[in-house]
Amino acid sequence: MSEREEETVARPEQQAAAAAHLTPAGTPLVETPADTAAGEVVLRLTDVVKTFPGVRALDGVQLEVRAGEVHCLLGQNGAGKSTLIKVLAGVHRPDSGLVEWRGRPATFANPQAAMRAGIATIYQELDLVEDLSVAENAFLGHEPRRLGFVRRGAMARLTRQILGRLGHAEIPPGRMVRALPAAGKQIVSMARALSHEARLIIMDEPSAVLAHDEVGNLFRIIRELTAQGIAVIYISHRLEEIREIGDRVTVLKDGRTTAANLPARDTPTRDLVSRMTGRTIEYVFPDRPAGAADGAQLLTVEGLTRAGEFADVSLDVRAGEIVGIAGLVGSGRSELLETIYGARRAEAGSVRMAGRALRPGSVGAAVRAGMGMAPEERKSQALLLGEPIYRNVTLATFARYARAGFTDAGRERAEADRIAESLELRPRDVRRPVRTLSGGNQQKVVVGRWLLGDTRLLLLDEPTRGVDVGARAELYQVIRGLAARGVGVLLVSSEVPEVLGLADRVLVMREGRVVREAPAGELDENTVLDLVMAGSLMEGAAA
Amino acid sequence: MSEPLTPTATPERAAQLPAQSPPVDPTETAGAVHKTSAPGRISWWRGEGGEGARRNLGLVGVLVVLVVIGALTRSDLYSNPDWVWDNVLSILKLAAVVGVVTVGMTFVIIGGGIDLSVGAIVALAGVWCTTVATQSYGAGGMIFSALTVGLAVGLVNGLLISYGRLVPFIATLAMLVAARGLAAEISDKQTQVSENGFINGLASNSLLGIPLLVYILAAVVAAGWVLLNRTTFGRRTVAVGGNPEAARLAGINVKRHTVLLYALSGLCCGIAAIMLTAQANSAQAAMANLYELDAIAAAIIGGTLLSGGRGTIIGSLLGVVIFATITNLFAINGLSTEAQNMVKGGIIVAAVLVQQVQFRSLTQFLGRNRLTT
Amino acid sequence: MTQHSRDMSRRRLLFGGAAVGAGVLLAGCTSNESQPTEAQTKAAGAPGGNSEPGKRVVIGFSAPAADHGWIAAITNNAKAQAGTYSDVEFKSVEAGADAAAQRAALSTLISQKPDVIVLLPHDGKELNAFGLEAMKAGVPVVNLDRAFPDARAYRLQIKGDNYGMGVAAATYMIEQFKAKGVSNPVIGEIAGMDELELTQERSKGFADTLTASGFKVANRRAARFTADSGQQEAAQLLQALPKIDALWNHDDDQGIGVLAAVNQSGRKEFFMVGGAGSKKAMEDIQADNTVLKATVTYSPSMASSAVSLARLIGQGRGMSDLVELQVPKEIILASETITKENAGDYLKLGF
Repeated sequence: MSEREEETVARPEQQAAAAAHLTPAGTPLVETPADTAAGEVVLRLTDVVKTFPGVRALDGVQLEVRAGEVHCLLGQNGAGKSTLIKVLAGVHRPDSGLVEWRGRPATFANPQAAMRAGIATIYQELDLVEDLSVAENAFLGHEPRRLGFVRRGAMARLTRQILGRLGHAEIPPGRMVRALPAAGKQIVSMARALSHEARLIIMDEPSAVLAHDEVGNLFRIIRELTAQGIAVIYISHRLEEIREIGDRVTVLKDGRTTAANLPARDTPTRDLVSRMTGRTIEYVFPDRPAGAADGAQLLTVEGLTRAGEFADVSLDVRAGEIVGIAGLVGSGRSELLETIYGARRAEAGSVRMAGRALRPGSVGAAVRAGMGMAPEERKSQALLLGEPIYRNVTLATFARYARAGFTDAGRERAEADRIAESLELRPRDVRRPVRTLSGGNQQKVVVGRWLLGDTRLLLLDEPTRGVDVGARAELYQVIRGLAARGVGVLLVSSEVPEVLGLADRVLVMREGRVVREAPAGELDENTVLDLVMAGSLMEGAAA
Repeated sequence: MSEPLTPTATPERAAQLPAQSPPVDPTETAGAVHKTSAPGRISWWRGEGGEGARRNLGLVGVLVVLVVIGALTRSDLYSNPDWVWDNVLSILKLAAVVGVVTVGMTFVIIGGGIDLSVGAIVALAGVWCTTVATQSYGAGGMIFSALTVGLAVGLVNGLLISYGRLVPFIATLAMLVAARGLAAEISDKQTQVSENGFINGLASNSLLGIPLLVYILAAVVAAGWVLLNRTTFGRRTVAVGGNPEAARLAGINVKRHTVLLYALSGLCCGIAAIMLTAQANSAQAAMANLYELDAIAAAIIGGTLLSGGRGTIIGSLLGVVIFATITNLFAINGLSTEAQNMVKGGIIVAAVLVQQVQFRSLTQFLGRNRLTT
Repeated sequence: MTQHSRDMSRRRLLFGGAAVGAGVLLAGCTSNESQPTEAQTKAAGAPGGNSEPGKRVVIGFSAPAADHGWIAAITNNAKAQAGTYSDVEFKSVEAGADAAAQRAALSTLISQKPDVIVLLPHDGKELNAFGLEAMKAGVPVVNLDRAFPDARAYRLQIKGDNYGMGVAAATYMIEQFKAKGVSNPVIGEIAGMDELELTQERSKGFADTLTASGFKVANRRAARFTADSGQQEAAQLLQALPKIDALWNHDDDQGIGVLAAVNQSGRKEFFMVGGAGSKKAMEDIQADNTVLKATVTYSPSMASSAVSLARLIGQGRGMSDLVELQVPKEIILASETITKENAGDYLKLGF
């Protein structure tokens, strides 16, 4: 806890040195001399840092937004976009760095304060109250009132006005939000922003919930908003949208700004991609031994399907082989992994381990067959944060060390100690609560859990999310070491280089389907990014 | 922003952030780790492992304060050692029945649930085991039927929650109403007198000067402690309550374990029903009134986290004993039940507040401690 | 009992534990026959009086769902008394758990057009309006025990005397102290549910009478009319008072627990007075082998009387021993003191 306090104290000295806007790799940030957007600067972030236990989510973010522009934020998963939004929305407070709002330093104690200051956020999962009316949602928390009574008539009239401004006068203010389609709900979210007289609206992947023709309508609204001098921060994975609606682009990578204020329309795609993927420190991947594909067939998945998540997925993993799955969040990769593991029940298809079919929907059966999984969300899906390290390491195996139902804490500690030593866990005292470990070391605990017992196939979902660079290299070594011992590994990652560098064979997933399968050596990062982003990057490059 | 830009800050920070900062130089980092972790290894008592023990010591402190208040306000009674011993036993007897219920409740809460039906189960099991027909089977039949009824009702709770996917609050609330209704139906709303000398003797007889009920409480607490801290069942309970998703993904059968937790709570209620029947020489549908709240309150002031994953049997026991001591304190001073209930409410709030403050200052303390070594 | 358990052990050998277990569970579910006590009725006896059959009368009856032996006895008594008359048709509705439920139940009762309604309301104040309505519609209402505030809301009120119970208990104690020459007695009191008005009235009658003789209550604990709460409060009270001369317990049902606590403590130096007058208490008093030496009545026999009087009201007759041609408007039962000497007479009224 106070480690971070200490850090904030250390920061101001560093800020002086940071004035040179250098990325760690040494490349200067791209500053566009002639800004297309002419408005005054409403928001400026300088060296904003935000750490969570074990993770530096923001590690020096620079951002400048002008009135009346659409400023796009680009970055891979885990680059820090969500944290940045939450800092602006008053959910998190930065540990250090400067946030200037309309020319003055500002900190927002809570979301209400940010709202009052004129910053509205429209989250991907719209935060509307489904069982209230459109008007009640639009004015939630600041209803026009007299003597403590809500002036319903006035509220309805104002809502109608705002909806008119948004070009959707047809939505009745009295309609329950539950009854509206996704696009309608988004309009209500925007109406709420306008009801606060927002000067800056942050939109987190607003097009993700919309059908294709609704996106055009969204863009029309955004243009109307910016014409009124409102600034918009627009976040999207879809490059084509950024090119169409955006004015300037800021790129985040690993919590840092790697490029600021690029012109949205004419920056070459390869520049954008390299800013998103450019390694701050090159990851060191272990050597790939020859003959990984010669092991015995371990996992065979055939025609696995879950409606709305993934369809007709077939794949196999051999003993000693690392198979990587690349894909965006929402491409169905995590769901696929959980289904193979039995944590979700497949609607069609089969999972076999060494030839034997597994009972669908049973984690117990999968574990007994020799599977282990390190899930995507370490803290919420894998760890008992308040429990000691050794109990987390033995969570799947403590019953094996027990005699007649009585646990053997000494033996468990010894086994966990052995794992801690082989994984170079720091600190090594296995009686410490796992909460006190850094992200990388927590991940080692989760992986280490499956090194006990006789795991033959390890499913890894985003094993390096929130893990710092140094610990990553160690984790890669651990994973490769496991494969060398004959364990099969099925790896999911949003980070394309990780999949390419670590896996022997790569499957690319998009919208629930495997669109490409090839040995890792035959693919490069741009090709894979192109595949996972629905071809949009390449189209953008052509334009 | 990167660390190398500030050369003066680097060595310090590397030492302070052994696990988190990127390894500027692997050997240096490893050295730094060694420096911090070896002497910084916290003793069990000061570490989080001793957290429960420290908390329990705090509860013992509260208990001592209550006894001191009793001794000051009724020095005439406390001057007689025989009376003092008698009073201790009377407090333990008062705590015995709720104590047994609370052991079961503690398991359920640690496992991430809640059981509002405990009082009703005690009443149903008590009424069932004291019908004329059951009493004709003797003490064995009475004990058997009370335990079986408790276990069965608990099992139904667990099945409704695990496989019927009812929220524990709703499922056990429904059971509360239904079980009391069934108890009233069976007893025809009458008070059923226990004529069984063995059962009644459980409350009136002593062994080596200590009442049998206190032995039963001690046995249940000891069994509960072993079960929670030394068995796979206990480990699963903590896992299921602390992070059900993690438990499930580690291959633990969360649903089955949840069923077992409620069954265990039901079984404890069955034991409590026998004890309460023995104490009152009778059973009726309205008995064990609001025991669910007493048990939950005791578990919470004993440090059991209502959201699950943490709690101690000893803490819960101390919680029950503290409540019994308050009742005793008010009784010996001839003060009203209303005031007594207000004080109990205050103690619950105070205990939870104190725990939060304790926890916060502890984490701060640990952080500081790590930096200075 | 001992005979029973010896039989039991032989049978257990024969059938084995599991079979017995099933038997125990099944038996518990079904068989409870000998548990309820006999109802208190007054047989239609002597010729020439009120018992002679008259006009046919439909009596509607409503009492709260019983959660206590006393209320259960009220319902049983009313039903049984109605059964002794050939000219009475008895229609009982379950009154549910609260005043609102009782109001709903009563409206269905009204639709069956009874000649008289006998009613033990959940709360006299809350059901006052119903009384007025029924009276206005020409259906006489007999209020049992819990009075309506408005005198126009009932034709007859018959109730027990809570204050009088306290007076009777205190009076008995004072006599005993005089006889034994105790000048400075230590007196304990185990009350019922403190939030009920009737508990407060009982305690007030008790305290007032004691004060008049210069005595006071040394310690008072409120239980909840249940045996287990009675046991717990009594155990604590005994702990608070190392020596007692007398103890009044408001309710004989909870008294089972109070007596259990006394037995468990091994204390014998005092005498105890009960309340309400249960059969078990009367038997204990008669047997004279516990500290319970007396109980003051608050008898559920009032339900039997209420049905008898409702019949007379329905037939337009007065009470044959009285001069008046109609039944009086209000009857308050005296709280009687039952001791070893007269327990035999009262046993049939115990519930």
